[in-house]
Amino acid sequence: MIRLEDVHKSFGRQTVLDGVDLEIERGKTTVIIGRSGGGKSVLLKHIIGLMKPDSGRIFIDDVDIAQLNDRDLNEIRKKFGMLFQEAALFDSMTVGENVAFPLREHTPYREDEIRRIVSERLQAVGLTGVEEKMPAELSGGMRKRVGLARAVALNPEIVLFDEPTTGLDPVMTEAINRLIIDTQKRFQLTCVVISHDIQSIFEIGHRIAMLYEGKIIAHGSPDEIRTSANPVIAQFLSGSIEGPIKIV
Amino acid sequence: MVNISSEAKVGLFVLVGLIILGYMSFRVGQQGFGLKNGYTVRAVFPNVAGLDRDASVQIAGVEIGRVEEIQLQDGQAVVTLRIRPNVKLGNDAAATIKTHGVLGDKYIELAPGTNTQAFLKEGEQIQRVESQADIDRLLRQITLIAADIRGVTSSLNKAMGGERGEASLGEIVENARLLTKNLNALVVNNEEALRFTLGNARQLTDNLNRVVVTNDAKIADVMDNLKDASKQMEQTFAQLNEITGSINRGEGSLGQLVKNQETAQKLNQTMTSLQEVSDKINQGKGTIGKLINDEQTARNLDETIKGINRYVSKSEQFRTYLNYRGEYLFDKSDGKSYVDIRIQPKEDRYYLVGVVADPRGRRTVKERITNGVMTRTEEWEKDGLLFNAQVAKRFRNVVLRGGVLESTGGVGLDYLMLNDRLKLSFEAFDFNSDDDDRAHLKAGMEFQVFKHIYLTAGWDDFISKRSNSSPFAGFAIRFEDDDLKYLLSSVPIPK
Amino acid sequence: MNAISAALDGLGKAMMSYVEEMGRILLLFLSVMAWMFRPPLKARNIFKQMEFVGVKSIFVVVLTGTFTGMVMALQGYHGFRMFGAEALVGSTVALGMTRELGPVLTALMVTARAGSAMAAELGTMRVTEQIDALSVMAANPVKHLIVPRVLAGVFMVPLLTVVSDFCGILGGYFVGVHLLDINSGIFIKNITKLVDLGDIYNGLVKAACFGLILSLIGCYKGFNARGGAEGVGRATTEAVVLAAITILISDYFLTAIMF
Ligand SMILES: Nc1ncnc2c1ncn2[C@@H]1O[C@H](COP(=O)(O)OP(=O)(O)OP(=O)(O)O)[C@@H](O)[C@H]1O
Ligand SMILES: [Mg+2]
Repeated sequence: MIRLEDVHKSFGRQTVLDGVDLEIERGKTTVIIGRSGGGKSVLLKHIIGLMKPDSGRIFIDDVDIAQLNDRDLNEIRKKFGMLFQEAALFDSMTVGENVAFPLREHTPYREDEIRRIVSERLQAVGLTGVEEKMPAELSGGMRKRVGLARAVALNPEIVLFDEPTTGLDPVMTEAINRLIIDTQKRFQLTCVVISHDIQSIFEIGHRIAMLYEGKIIAHGSPDEIRTSANPVIAQFLSGSIEGPIKIV
Repeated sequence: MVNISSEAKVGLFVLVGLIILGYMSFRVGQQGFGLKNGYTVRAVFPNVAGLDRDASVQIAGVEIGRVEEIQLQDGQAVVTLRIRPNVKLGNDAAATIKTHGVLGDKYIELAPGTNTQAFLKEGEQIQRVESQADIDRLLRQITLIAADIRGVTSSLNKAMGGERGEASLGEIVENARLLTKNLNALVVNNEEALRFTLGNARQLTDNLNRVVVTNDAKIADVMDNLKDASKQMEQTFAQLNEITGSINRGEGSLGQLVKNQETAQKLNQTMTSLQEVSDKINQGKGTIGKLINDEQTARNLDETIKGINRYVSKSEQFRTYLNYRGEYLFDKSDGKSYVDIRIQPKEDRYYLVGVVADPRGRRTVKERITNGVMTRTEEWEKDGLLFNAQVAKRFRNVVLRGGVLESTGGVGLDYLMLNDRLKLSFEAFDFNSDDDDRAHLKAGMEFQVFKHIYLTAGWDDFISKRSNSSPFAGFAIRFEDDDLKYLLSSVPIPK
Repeated sequence: MNAISAALDGLGKAMMSYVEEMGRILLLFLSVMAWMFRPPLKARNIFKQMEFVGVKSIFVVVLTGTFTGMVMALQGYHGFRMFGAEALVGSTVALGMTRELGPVLTALMVTARAGSAMAAELGTMRVTEQIDALSVMAANPVKHLIVPRVLAGVFMVPLLTVVSDFCGILGGYFVGVHLLDINSGIFIKNITKLVDLGDIYNGLVKAACFGLILSLIGCYKGFNARGGAEGVGRATTEAVVLAAITILISDYFLTAIMF
C-alpha cells in the first residue's frame, strides 16, 4: 500500500530522516512511535506529499509520489484523510464549514446531505451543536476532534492521524481510540497513527514502528514490540530516564 | 441591524462606483458629444505654432467644434475643423488662432460671417484667415500706446522747453548736511506762499473736478486723445511765452503794453484759445471734433477696464501702475514731465522707477586735477533725463519713500486724504552743496478727479537760491497695469 | 577596502534577492492566472474578499481622497496666484487626482489596510498548517486563497479609485470655491475642459495594476511565511513595504507608457 524506501530529509544541517524504510500494509493500523522531535510528523508529511524527500522514494499503490506533478498528486490525495497535530482548522470558517469543506470540494452532495453528514461526523467524535462556532472558540481537544471529523468526512481509504488523542481526557481518549478502531474495521481503512500514549498504541495498532535517529529501528506486531530486547524500545516503552535515549 | 450579505454590499459598492464613474465620464466627455456627425471645413494658416489636434474651435467664446487634423501643404498649415452640425458658417467666415492668456492653449476663433445665403459646406475652405496671435496683437497695441505716450511727453516738453539740469548720485551725502539748515529757512520763509499756492490749487481742482464730473463718459476719449490736447496746449503756451518774452525784454511797461496793439492782440488771442479749450472740455467734447467722432476708442477702453475689473479678485494685491505726470512751472514758463512704473507687491509697500524730464536737464560734474589742484566743472545736458527709483512704505495715511529722486538721493512724504483721492506730498532731494544751491524741496498736492486722471499743483524747489523755484500745476494719468495680469490668465482677452 | 567590497556584495545580494523575489511573484501570478480560469470558482469567497478589500476600505479612501484634493487646491491656489491663474486650480486637482494621486494613494491605503491583512492571514494559515491542510484535502491553495484576493484587488482598487477621484475633486471644489472664492463655474468648466476621458480611464488601468500588485505581493508574502507569529509579522511588514515600493516604481513606468 504505502512503501518508503531509503527516505532522507534534512533541514539545513539537521538531518531528520536518515534512510527510512517502511512498509505500511493495506487495511491495517500502523502506529509510529518515537521521541518528541524525532521526525514523526515529518515522516507523515512525506507520505502525503506535503514534503519532498531529499532522496529516496515513496510509493503509494506503486506510484512514486515524489515524482508526481501537482495534478496527479491531488488525485492521489483524494484517497487520503489527515489529522494534523495542531488540527489545522480553517479559522475563517465555522466548525461546520470546516468539516463540510472536503465534502463541498469533492462530492456532488446537496447542502442538506452535507449538513447531515457533518453533524453525523461531529457526533461520532463527541461534539454536538458546535457547527456554528468558530475554531477559535473551541478548546484544544475539541479542535482536535473537529480535525478528526474533517479527516474522515470523505471516508478516505487511508487516514493519517498525527497524535489524535494528545490533550484529551482519559474518557475521551478511549472514545477516540474506539472510533479509530471501529471506523478502521468498518471501512477496512489503512491507518497511520502517531501516538505517544503507550496504552493507545497497543489498543489500536496492528503494526507498530519505532522511529529513532532518522531510521525505523523496529517494525512488528504489538507483541513483538512489547517483548523487544532493543534497549531503545524498552526504555521508550517503560519511560525510564536511564538508557540509550538521551534527554539532552 | 439587518445583516446584509457580502454580495449585497459589494454589489451596492460596485453600483455606486460605476455611477460615479459614469457621471465623471459624462461630464468630462460631454464636449465630444454631438461632434461626430458634424461637418468639416478647412482653413489654411501660414503658421499654427502651438495649435494642437483637438484644440477648441469657438465662436464668441462658445465651443462649436474641434481641430481634427493639421497638415502641411506647400509650406502652409492646413487645419481641418470639425464643426457641430447645427452651426452654420457663412462663406465669408473668418478664422483666427488665439490664445487663452500667455500660459493657455491655442484655439481657433471663428467669425461666423455675415452671409446668410451661402453657407460653408463639408470640406470647403474658410477664405479669410487671420494668423496673428492675440499676444502679438496686444504687444503691438502696447507699443502703439507707448508711442502715444512718448508723443505726448515730447510735445509737452517742446511746449514747455527751457533750461535743463542733472545731478549725480555721488553727491548725496554732502547734501544731507545742508538739508537740516535749509529746512528751517523753508518753514520760516515760505509759509505764506505755500498756503497761498495750496489755496489756489484747491480752487483749481474744484473747478476741474466739476468739469470732469459732468463729463464722466468722455473721459476715456480724453485720455486717448491727449496727444492732440497737448498740441493745443503747445500753441497756448507758445503764445504765453511770447507775452512774457516781450515783458522781459523791457517792452513790458504797462503803458507800452496797452498801446502795443500786437501784444494786446496776442494776449487776447491767448485768452480766447484758453477760453476755447476750456469751453470744449466743459461741453464734454474734449479736443475739437475728434473726440466726438472717436466713440470707438472710448468704448474699447471701457471694455478693457470692465474686463480687468471682472478679473481682478479681491485677494490680489500685486499691482503695477503706469504713471505719467506733466507739470507746468509758472515762473519758468516751462514743463517738467515724469513717467514711472509703480510696482506694489503689498498694499502698504511699493517700488517706483521712472524718468523725469526736467527743464534744466541733467547735470554732469567733471573733476579735473591740474598741478595738484582739483577743479570742478558743471555741465548741463539739456536733453538728459533724470531718474527716479524709490521704495515706499505706507503707514495708515502716511507714505514714506526714499531712494533716488531726480537722479539724486532723497526722501519723500505723502499724506493721503479723502479715501486716497487727495495726496499732499513733500519731497527733499539733491542735498549736494556743490552747485551752491540749497537742497531741492518740492511740495504739492495731487487730486484724483477720475479713475485714471489726477490734477496736481504745488511749488517746486521753493528754497532755491538759483531762482529755480516755481509754483506749478499739471495733471497725471495713472493706469493700473492689469493688462499684464490679464494676459497671464486663462480668460481670453477681449478685443 | 574590505568594507567597500562587503557593502557592494551586500548590495548585489539584496538586488539579486529582489529580482529573485520578483521572479517568484511572477510565477505565482502565472499560476493565479492559470487557476483563475479553472472552474469552479467559489463566488462566495470572491465576494467576501471584495467586501474586505473594497467595501471596508471606502471610509479610509474617502478620507484620504477628500483631504488630498483639499490640500492640492490649497497648494495649487498659492502657486497659481502668482500667475493670476487661480482658475486652473480645479483642473489641477482633477488631473492630479485622476491621473496620479487617486490611483496611487488608493493603492497605498489599500496596501496598508488589505494587503497587510492578506499577508497576515495567509501567513497565519501557513504557520498553523491550514494551507497544508488545504493541500491535503486536494484543494489547491492558490485557487482557494489567492485567486479570490487577487480578483478582489484588481476589481476593487479601481472602483475605490473612482471614489477617491471623486472625493478629491469634491474636496478641491470645497476649498477652491467655498474657502478661496474661486468662481465655481470657472472651476468646473476648467475641469471638464482639461480633463480627458483618457485621464480617468488610464488612472483606472493603473489602479487595476496596483490592485494586482498589492494583492499578489500580500498573498505571496503570507503564503511563504515561515516561523510562527514573528514570521507572520515579518511577512506582513515586508508585504507592505515591497508592495508600496513596487507600486511607486511601476507607477512611473505605467505613466511613461500611458500618458
Ligand atoms: N518545516 C521545517 N523546517 C525546519 N525544520 C523542521 C521543519 N519541520 C520539522 N522540522 C524539524 O524536524 C524535526 C522533527 O520534527 P517533527 O515535527 O517531525 O517531530 P515529531 O517527531 O513530530 O515531534 P512531536 O512528537 O513533538 O510532534 C524537529 O527537530 C524540527 O525542528
Ligand atoms: Mg509531531
